[in-house]
Amino acid sequence: MRFGNLLKKELRELITPQALVSMGAMLLLFIFLGQMLGDFTDSMEDISSATICVQDKTAFVDDILASLKEENIEVNQVELTSEDYAAELDRLELDNLVIIPAGFTDSVLVNKEPASLKIVSKVAGGGMISTAQTMSATEVIDAIEKAAEDSILLESYGITPEEIERIKAPVNTTEISVLNGKSAEVATEELSAVLMMQSMVVPIALFFMVMMASQMIMTAISTEKIDKTLETLLSTPVSRLSILGAKMLAAVISALLNAVVMMIGMVFYVGGMLGSAGEEMMNMAVAGQEVSASADGVMSAMEAMGELGMSISVGSYVLFGIQIFISVMIALAISLLLGAMATDIKSVQTLTMPIMLVTMIPFFVTMFADLNTMSTVPKLIMYAIPFTHAYTAMNNLVFGHTALFWGGLVYQLVFFAVCMFLAVRLFTTDKIFTMSYQTGAGKGKKGLIKQ
Amino acid sequence: MGKVLEVNGLSKSYKKDVLAADSVSFSVDEGEIFALIGPNGAGKTTTIRMISTLITPTGGDALVAGHSIISEPAKVRENITYLPDEAGAYKTMTGKQYLEFMAGLFTGDKHVAERYIDRAAQICGLGDRLNEKIGSYSRGMIRKLLLSRAVMTEPKLAIMDEATSGLDVINALEIRKMIKKLAKETGMSFLLSSHNMLEIEYVSDRVGIMTKGHLMVTGGIDELKQRYNAANLEEVFERVVIENEVR
Ligand SMILES: Nc1ncnc2c1ncn2[C@@H]1O[C@H](COP(=O)(O)OP(=O)(O)O)[C@@H](O)[C@H]1O
Ligand SMILES: [Mg+2]
Repeated sequence: MRFGNLLKKELRELITPQALVSMGAMLLLFIFLGQMLGDFTDSMEDISSATICVQDKTAFVDDILASLKEENIEVNQVELTSEDYAAELDRLELDNLVIIPAGFTDSVLVNKEPASLKIVSKVAGGGMISTAQTMSATEVIDAIEKAAEDSILLESYGITPEEIERIKAPVNTTEISVLNGKSAEVATEELSAVLMMQSMVVPIALFFMVMMASQMIMTAISTEKIDKTLETLLSTPVSRLSILGAKMLAAVISALLNAVVMMIGMVFYVGGMLGSAGEEMMNMAVAGQEVSASADGVMSAMEAMGELGMSISVGSYVLFGIQIFISVMIALAISLLLGAMATDIKSVQTLTMPIMLVTMIPFFVTMFADLNTMSTVPKLIMYAIPFTHAYTAMNNLVFGHTALFWGGLVYQLVFFAVCMFLAVRLFTTDKIFTMSYQTGAGKGKKGLIKQ
Repeated sequence: MGKVLEVNGLSKSYKKDVLAADSVSFSVDEGEIFALIGPNGAGKTTTIRMISTLITPTGGDALVAGHSIISEPAKVRENITYLPDEAGAYKTMTGKQYLEFMAGLFTGDKHVAERYIDRAAQICGLGDRLNEKIGSYSRGMIRKLLLSRAVMTEPKLAIMDEATSGLDVINALEIRKMIKKLAKETGMSFLLSSHNMLEIEYVSDRVGIMTKGHLMVTGGIDELKQRYNAANLEEVFERVVIENEVR
């Protein structure tokens, strides 16, 4: 009952209308950015139409245009009235134009010399979209070239399309990935892509959680101390452990809320950015569908991971969840201790730095480097930071480094126990009021106030 | 009359060999307003924080309504309220929400809590402003809110550190009047502190004069003025200090 009262108050302090608004703004920003980049990516892929001016009206050119249609490129034919390309582009309201000049067919089939092809594009500024437009015209040219190539092979050398296919792909590769003495028929690249998704998404969420949670509790505790509301609170007949508990729980809840919003934002961002390709990738990562439109008989990455003993069991997920929870709790306990030392708002900012560093350093190091290949000293330093173990937990579980995982978990538990012990001590003794003055000497041997 | 507070040789040292409070002893009767007075750094806040169970004494003990601050701090907290020096309140809450929150820490009973809140609302005299965010309050308003919350539960002992410091004359006067009236009407006891010795004359029944961690003398205001042949408490203080230096 009284705990509920405390929790309500802490939550009200953390989840303010302003906080909700900024969370919403963040979400919108992510969605907007993702959409914008997605539009760009889509426009790049969008070569569904091409404007072509045919000045060489032959059956050969017609064949080429027909084969463009087979490639799902919609051909839009125009006629030019002059050689003034700038004026023509303006008149036709086009950004680019491919011209097949007279004599194209003769060059290819009769004279057996390189035929000429013209592409006219407007330089529309330095933006990415204009680059994309030029690129789409280039793709059309590639398609025309390929069609011309196939025609030459057929007309001049009598090589059928089936034979061409065979000549162009004479080798059929089967990729086999090996891990921990097991093997599976799947491309290592595809496996890596799935692993990437798995080992990236969660650390990012964790990273945000830890940052949010520690910032929030630090501000909460230090403002209470500075405004002396803490003194009032601690002189009331509620257990001090419930005061501490309410603070930590509220921070966990709002950190979780923030992390969820952040993750939703990220999913929208990545999804929007990659366009349809991104959606497929997300689906496959989430639902374990086939990695690519690979031919029948080729294993999906998920199946392969199962075969290789890399799939993640429910038990592992639970363990991993515990890992994350403990990491957040450690961050909270440390922030609580640091926040209690603050004597003014400015010092709060300074005190946030150490937490930022110990969350950020292992985040980036584990993302770009393999801890196992580091030399001893940096490796030990990294392992000494409790958050490292959270970032590496997923990979340790997937790759079967059980000893590393359990070692990390135990280390985190011990670390958490120590931090919690200090935090409880802080709240149940007069440390919280005397600490900021103390220089380190003359501590201890004070009688504790019994709770 | 029974004693609400009995302080026996209370001492505190923050650093080795420096006593911020040195064997402080005094007592407060039921319904009495007692004030610790003395200059800044005299040890008033230290003494008050020990009695409020916020910091641990390095020596001595104190009984609040018969409960030891050392062995029964939880019981002590049920019998006191404490208003810290220059305290603020949660700025994002409205005055009403603050009172609700604080009432909820003293009782789980909705009706009792409501009675507390009504009483506080009446005492603080903030009217409709209680529905506004505390962030928009002036110092005087915050102090009135905090004072009303400190007495709404009618504790045996209300402890107020520098209750009027930092306020303008009118607000300080109002606060003093509120304290006097409450003591008379409810029979609550007050333990106040102040570095303003002239002002405290108007509120307290008895005072204790502190300097450098020592409680020099305690007594009724008129009694002290007579004993030291002084016109006001400031002069009493002066003479007490001189007397102790000579000794
Ligand atoms: N948390 C603390 N740590 C160390 N010394 C302190 C602390 N609080 C107060 N002091 C010292 O104790 C002495 C008494 O201070 P205080 O009780 O605040 O006096 P007052 O309230 O009468 O002005 C001062 O010398 C002060 O510097
Ligand atoms: Mg003081």
